[in-house]
Amino acid sequence: MSELASPLPVIALRRAVLFPRTLMPLSVGRTTSAHAVEAATATEHKTVIVAAQRDAEVEEPGLADLFPFATRAVVKRVERRGELLQIVLQGIDRVRLVELTQTAPHPVARVQPLPDPADTGAEVEALHRAVLDRARQIAGFWAPSTQALMLQVAGDAHDPLQQAYLIAGLVELPTDRAMALLAANTRAELLRLLHDALAHELEVLRLREQIASKAETGLSEEQRRYLLRQQLQVIREELGETESGAGGLDELRERVAKAELPPSVRSEVDRELERLQRVPMASPEHSLARSWLELVAALPWNKASSDAIDLTRARQVLDEDHSGLDEVKTRILEYLSVMKLNPAARAPILCFVGPPGVGKTSLGKSIARAIGRTFERLSLGGLHDEAELRGHRRTYIGAMPGRIVQAIRRAGVNNPLLMLDEVDKLGVGVHGDPSAALLEVLDPAQNSEFHDNYLDLPFDLSRVFFITTANTLDTVPRPLLDRMEVIRLSGYTDDEKLAIAKDHLLPRQLRESGLRDGQLEVPEVSLRLIARRYTREAGVRQLERVLASLCRKAASRVASGSADRVTAGEAELRELLGPERFFDEDLRQELPPGVAPGLAWTETGGTVLYVETVLLPDSTELLLTGQLGEVMRESARAALSWLRAHAVELGLETVVKKGVHVHVPAGATPKDGPSAGVAMATALASLFAGIPVRGDVAMTGEITLSGLVLPVGGIREKLLAAHRAGVRTVVLPSRNRQDVAEVPDNVRSGLQLVFAAHVADVFATALPELARRMRAAAGAVARGAGSQGPGHEAAAGMES
Amino acid sequence: MDFVERTLFRALIASALDAREPGCWRPAVDVYREVDGWLCKFDLAGVRGEDVDVQAIGRRLRVTGVRRDRTLQAGREPYSMEISYHTFERSVELPCDLQDCRVECSFDAGMLLVTIQETRP
Repeated sequence: MSELASPLPVIALRRAVLFPRTLMPLSVGRTTSAHAVEAATATEHKTVIVAAQRDAEVEEPGLADLFPFATRAVVKRVERRGELLQIVLQGIDRVRLVELTQTAPHPVARVQPLPDPADTGAEVEALHRAVLDRARQIAGFWAPSTQALMLQVAGDAHDPLQQAYLIAGLVELPTDRAMALLAANTRAELLRLLHDALAHELEVLRLREQIASKAETGLSEEQRRYLLRQQLQVIREELGETESGAGGLDELRERVAKAELPPSVRSEVDRELERLQRVPMASPEHSLARSWLELVAALPWNKASSDAIDLTRARQVLDEDHSGLDEVKTRILEYLSVMKLNPAARAPILCFVGPPGVGKTSLGKSIARAIGRTFERLSLGGLHDEAELRGHRRTYIGAMPGRIVQAIRRAGVNNPLLMLDEVDKLGVGVHGDPSAALLEVLDPAQNSEFHDNYLDLPFDLSRVFFITTANTLDTVPRPLLDRMEVIRLSGYTDDEKLAIAKDHLLPRQLRESGLRDGQLEVPEVSLRLIARRYTREAGVRQLERVLASLCRKAASRVASGSADRVTAGEAELRELLGPERFFDEDLRQELPPGVAPGLAWTETGGTVLYVETVLLPDSTELLLTGQLGEVMRESARAALSWLRAHAVELGLETVVKKGVHVHVPAGATPKDGPSAGVAMATALASLFAGIPVRGDVAMTGEITLSGLVLPVGGIREKLLAAHRAGVRTVVLPSRNRQDVAEVPDNVRSGLQLVFAAHVADVFATALPELARRMRAAAGAVARGAGSQGPGHEAAAGMES
Repeated sequence: MDFVERTLFRALIASALDAREPGCWRPAVDVYREVDGWLCKFDLAGVRGEDVDVQAIGRRLRVTGVRRDRTLQAGREPYSMEISYHTFERSVELPCDLQDCRVECSFDAGMLLVTIQETRP
């Protein structure tokens, strides 16, 4: 130990303490320190004394300027970096400075070695653990890399003294606290001091975090938005949707400038554009204002397609697209003629009413084609929110213009043909009644200043050619119906269906199934059979589907090579399409007494239905079954009452007191309306008299309590149905005589039409036997009392 | 301490943790299994034989000593220094009790060779 006795060079540290058993890297810049290092390296053992300065500012410290406790260290590494010496010091043990034997060129000190603190005991153990706890807590505030190091140190119980010194080094204690640690002569003292220092450090760290988090709260929301915006920008760039704020706005400005806007709109748009510039891009306001401006710029304020109404061509187009429908076409041409003669006249608002599949929508398209207007359609089916039609106010997020304005925008002209489909299926919801909004749209007096909530500017709809469609007018609100010219498209007759199938449906389906000419032959008789036996409808949709199926079957045969060409003759149909699905409303040939054939109107066209009655001997009530509506039940009562009232004249007084059950099949289909009254009266009369109704007769008409036959609707459909069913004679109310003109000639010529003004006229045709009895009875009454019976003076006309 | 120093310091602490004997440098050692014993080769280049102390305590072979810089000369200043001087200490634990063995030491070209011969009773 001779080295200890000899004086050692001293390195004075500013703001740092080297602990024994730890390493410390050091940049030596001070000349005296560099000399000390050089002196140490020039010895065999490379030992120096590392002492801490009391005052960091002192350049050449004397003994008084140094803490008395110091560390003996070995210079482990030396690296010259220009003027600087990079060295690594390895602390060995504690020493006490005794005196400085020289100060230049570097201080040299005589030291007294101090023993390592080596006491043990429960207190030391407890303090040791408390120190480790504190150290781990402090590490919790640190970055992961240093944290891991501290946890490694704290977890290594190999040398508690070294551990304590390492922790002190890692925490970077203030010099005076570190010096106190170095001065500690016992482990207990060392650990207590370290624990206090660590506790203080922990408190400082906690306070610092609190301050930092408080300062951050105000900032973080802004920062978050900023960050999100940055990300959005990146995503946009990635998607190629970049629009530099000014550039995008310029483009919009240009578009607005190009749009032909009315002066009032122009000023509003300019105001909005100016506002848009001030609104930040990322604000929702911006995109709202922007999409509004885009809408305004895109709307055809003054842009109209020129009407070129050529009536010959229009007729030609209508004929090309639709077979039959002559009356409808004529009425359309009348409207077109008016438009041609007086272009300033308001466009008519038409309403096509008819069963599904009769070509209402496609007729609208044809009209647009015929007069060269843009066609746009929007379906109102199920619409129950007024805002759908008229738009939401712009203040709402996600606000959109209404469907009308959207349709106009799509059309690109302000005089398109706008088809409003399914106007009868408008709903009413909690958000207002859309039909009320339609009132404004469809009123020529109001729609020149149509107000859409979103657009918030009046738009002129008066040049739009509106056509609405409906399956039934019953559910169309009256005021709405009042604004429209109703054109009825009733079902097609078999001949019309045949023509449509031949001219339109079959060629289309052949084309779609990829069959060439001649590969599928469908003779006319097969088409007629398909229309009758495989479909039951007023329109032709089902027919087209069946034809499509036929084409597919043929295509599959041709494609598989099993046939070159397919002929779908009468015999092959069953094989190709399966068994026939519908039978002509099977006309019952032999009717028992009490059954009378009536004619009914349905949405899918007319149909023959039978009113069945039986006597209930044990009761006097009137049973009505078959899902009959209120009106129909009442007409049954009226018919029965009339018969009971006139039982004497009819010679039925013995039976009319008995109970009657009236049933109208099919039982599952709801039925209503007064038009079965005549059939009910006939059925009951037949029942009471025990005389069957003539099998080839069908009848329709409302009956009053005084026996008058009142006119009913749907004559055309009913006659078509009767014709299809094979009925030969039809009894109609005489006041329906003019409706017969609607019926195609071939149908009319195939039917014998009897016009009845009184129920007796009906009986005269349907129950000839009863009529005879009545005449006889009437004769008897006339002979006896001079009164007149009904029937023989009524105008019973016949037309063949 | 500046940032670089601090980082270095922390790296050194990590390495100091590896060194089991604080305050000393730690020579590298190779241990060989022989037919009748062990050979431990300590890298002690530049250490004089009289500065080395070898102890066998139980299963542990402990080598301590001091490396003195013997190339000192006036006017020769260190430019870069990597070799550790001063005291060193190194222990090796072997799977046999060294009290029953014959331990011999020799120096060969800077390597301390400790031969341990298991003597069977």
